[in-house]
Amino acid sequence: MIQVENVTKKYGNFTAVSNINFEIDEGEIVGFLGPNGAGKSTTMNMITGFIEPSEGKIIVDGYDISKKPKKAKKQIGYMPEGVPLYGDLTVKEFVTYMAELKGCESKSKKEKVQKVIEETGLVDVQNKLTKNLSRGYKQRVSMAGALVGDPKVIILDEPTVGLDPKQVTEIRALIKKLGKNHTVILSSHILSEVSQICNRVIIINKGKIIAIDTPENLEKKVVGDNSIYVTVEDNEEKMKNIKEKLSQIKEVKLVSENEDKTKKYIITAEKDVDLRKNLFETFAKEGITIFEMKKADATLEDAFMKLISDTQKNEDEKNVEHKENLKKDNKKIEKEQEESNKKTEKTKKNKSQKEEEEK
Amino acid sequence: MLAVIKKEFKSYFLSPIGYVVIGIFLFVFSVFFYLTTIQYGSVDLGSLYFYTALYGLIIIAPILTMRMFAEERKSGTEQLILTSPVSMVSVVFGKFFAAMGVIIVTLVISFMYFFIVKYFGNPNIYTVLVHMLGFILVSGAAISIGMFASSITENQIIAGVITIAFLVMTLFLQDVNSIFAYASIMNFYSDFPSGVISLKEVLGLISFTAMFISFTIIVMQRRKLVK
Repeated sequence: MIQVENVTKKYGNFTAVSNINFEIDEGEIVGFLGPNGAGKSTTMNMITGFIEPSEGKIIVDGYDISKKPKKAKKQIGYMPEGVPLYGDLTVKEFVTYMAELKGCESKSKKEKVQKVIEETGLVDVQNKLTKNLSRGYKQRVSMAGALVGDPKVIILDEPTVGLDPKQVTEIRALIKKLGKNHTVILSSHILSEVSQICNRVIIINKGKIIAIDTPENLEKKVVGDNSIYVTVEDNEEKMKNIKEKLSQIKEVKLVSENEDKTKKYIITAEKDVDLRKNLFETFAKEGITIFEMKKADATLEDAFMKLISDTQKNEDEKNVEHKENLKKDNKKIEKEQEESNKKTEKTKKNKSQKEEEEK
Repeated sequence: MLAVIKKEFKSYFLSPIGYVVIGIFLFVFSVFFYLTTIQYGSVDLGSLYFYTALYGLIIIAPILTMRMFAEERKSGTEQLILTSPVSMVSVVFGKFFAAMGVIIVTLVISFMYFFIVKYFGNPNIYTVLVHMLGFILVSGAAISIGMFASSITENQIIAGVITIAFLVMTLFLQDVNSIFAYASIMNFYSDFPSGVISLKEVLGLISFTAMFISFTIIVMQRRKLVK
């Protein structure tokens, strides 16, 4: 449905997005994830044809957005960041205007507008001016503007920012519903949101794609070890020997000692081994009382932080190299300058000598 | 394009701008109706339209045009237009025709001066229509300049000032005997007041307008490269 090939966007010397490649299939809900200034909005703006990539091409539903913008844009409904609206129009007028801009036929226009207004829950405010609405409603109006005319692709830039928890769940449910017969792309820096809604996540940092995968796979990537938290009452200090009793255990570590004399341990095993059953049985035999047992799940949050810090490390290493190179270069330049200074001094001396001689 | 015209025209009257423009225009019309037609006791309305165009447009053109693109850029609604499947050409023309619509509404109201004169004398309706044609063409030129000014900045005030500066220049430039005299749009409005449609003036004004409309289109299309 959407192909992004070797796309780069530069502003002067600053590279906002560098050489990204990905493909989005029909019916997918894809989330762009990244810290502020990562290039999420720039990428979305390029897909919608609002800005032109410096290099590379973007194909939407078979049409190149730079070469056949009209046909490509017809497939896209876009809700920009910061929800820009025409303040002097009412909700209904605004949605109608968006429908007209998208070239809806005048016969079906009224029905389509009404349908979208109902879908986004704007029926009560449809005759209010958009400038008088609260942030949550504005967001929905903007979304209605994107949905009207049934575009195949819906692009939402931070759709849940600034909403109250109830509205957030409503919008998420709406997005999920849309995902059934549309391709949806959304950006967010809220990780739980992305893992709840999206089939696939594209993580961007500093204009580069770090990972493209399903939320589940990304979480798995981070879980290097298979760990379990246990809180136990162990008056006879039998936990020390537990490792010898159960061969699957790799490591037992004390996390904390609680006030009620229970102790919290983290027990690590090999991958793909579920220790919980064995632990339970062994503890029972040894007379250790279990208060709590919990598998340590990695979240998308961990994946995100890990991926981003990994790229950061790589870059830092590169930067160090780069700096060293720079230092070397600087030294070279300094040497050259010194030499050239000496030369000029020499020539000056020569000149002054000559002049004196002439005198 | 129709959608853009409709929305923009409606916007003029949803905000006070449309009414303010028509009010100022009719005020200027009335002042010059007194100073020219009534003072000379003639049935000729040529100088009425000439002087209103000369002085009225200096205030009217910037008011009508300064928000056109500057405001859209500032509030971000530009994103909505530029990502919808409408070509830039039709957006620019849509906004241009909407502003012309306000001018035409004023001109229709200005028929009252014709009927006032008709009560006392016998003015020629065709001559008045020629005056109006000239007035529309000159307004078009002024609006195209204002539109261009609005497209190059996101600050409405700067856009307005550029437009005023240009139009004030046209006041003086027409008297200066140099090549710059042709930059004054009022120089293409010398035959209309005497009821003559000259090809030179019609083509001059239309090409002047076309030039600034194309500049606007070029600026807006380049936006997606530089933004």
